[in-house]
Amino acid sequence: MKKQSVWLLAVVMALLLAGCASQKGPAQQAIASAETALAAVRDQAQKYVPDQLQAVESQLQSAKDAFAKGDYKAVMATAPALTAAISSLGEAAQAKAADAEAALAKAKEAWGATSADVPKMLDAIQSRVDILSKSHHLPAHVTKDALASAKSGLDSLKSTWSEASSAATSGDYTSAMSKAQTVKDKATEIMKSLGMTS
Amino acid sequence: MADDNNPYTQTHVVQSGETLSKIAQKYYGDASLYDKIFQANRDVLKDPNKIFPGQKLKIP
Repeated sequence: MKKQSVWLLAVVMALLLAGCASQKGPAQQAIASAETALAAVRDQAQKYVPDQLQAVESQLQSAKDAFAKGDYKAVMATAPALTAAISSLGEAAQAKAADAEAALAKAKEAWGATSADVPKMLDAIQSRVDILSKSHHLPAHVTKDALASAKSGLDSLKSTWSEASSAATSGDYTSAMSKAQTVKDKATEIMKSLGMTS
Repeated sequence: MADDNNPYTQTHVVQSGETLSKIAQKYYGDASLYDKIFQANRDVLKDPNKIFPGQKLKIP
């Protein structure tokens, strides 16, 4: 009876080992496929959805750890979810990239008008500041502080405008438009403070 | 001289009884700066002493 039990245990162990071994190949293949799929979307995901990428990489690492421990069953059990997560990651990155591209195209189009507009605002302000600086008495609606602020503000705006132009030249129209809007808003404030908008 | 096509250059419509000096006083606080307005409007003004109601002047 005891001898029979030993034989039975040996057979069961052999079957288990055979079963595990039969899952090693598919598990290895599942991890390799996941790595290949992730590599294809990694750069774009890193740029547009880094947090989601990190989560997927963590999932992949868990699968690798399970494989290293010989838990091929766990690898196979999590493989579908990992595949789905990588697919979702790629779609999310692609959607964000498309959004960014659309925003860039919009900014590029807006830059055309803005790049012609802002220098004219700055020229008008510069002209008024130059004339008011020669005035013996400022007009009633302009204070000395407002004029001083306009002078220093104008220098700052020219500097920011230069940065915006450089950004546009390098193709970063989103940043260029952001800076340009800052210049326009501040220039409008200065024009009001100098009574140029009435 | 103000840019003729600058939409941000302020404008002023001459009222009856106004002179360039009065307009300069209003916008610059200094009547003696009237020539700035005259020079910016040489396309429509030939004489700084001759402006007419209804004329639209650029105020640089």
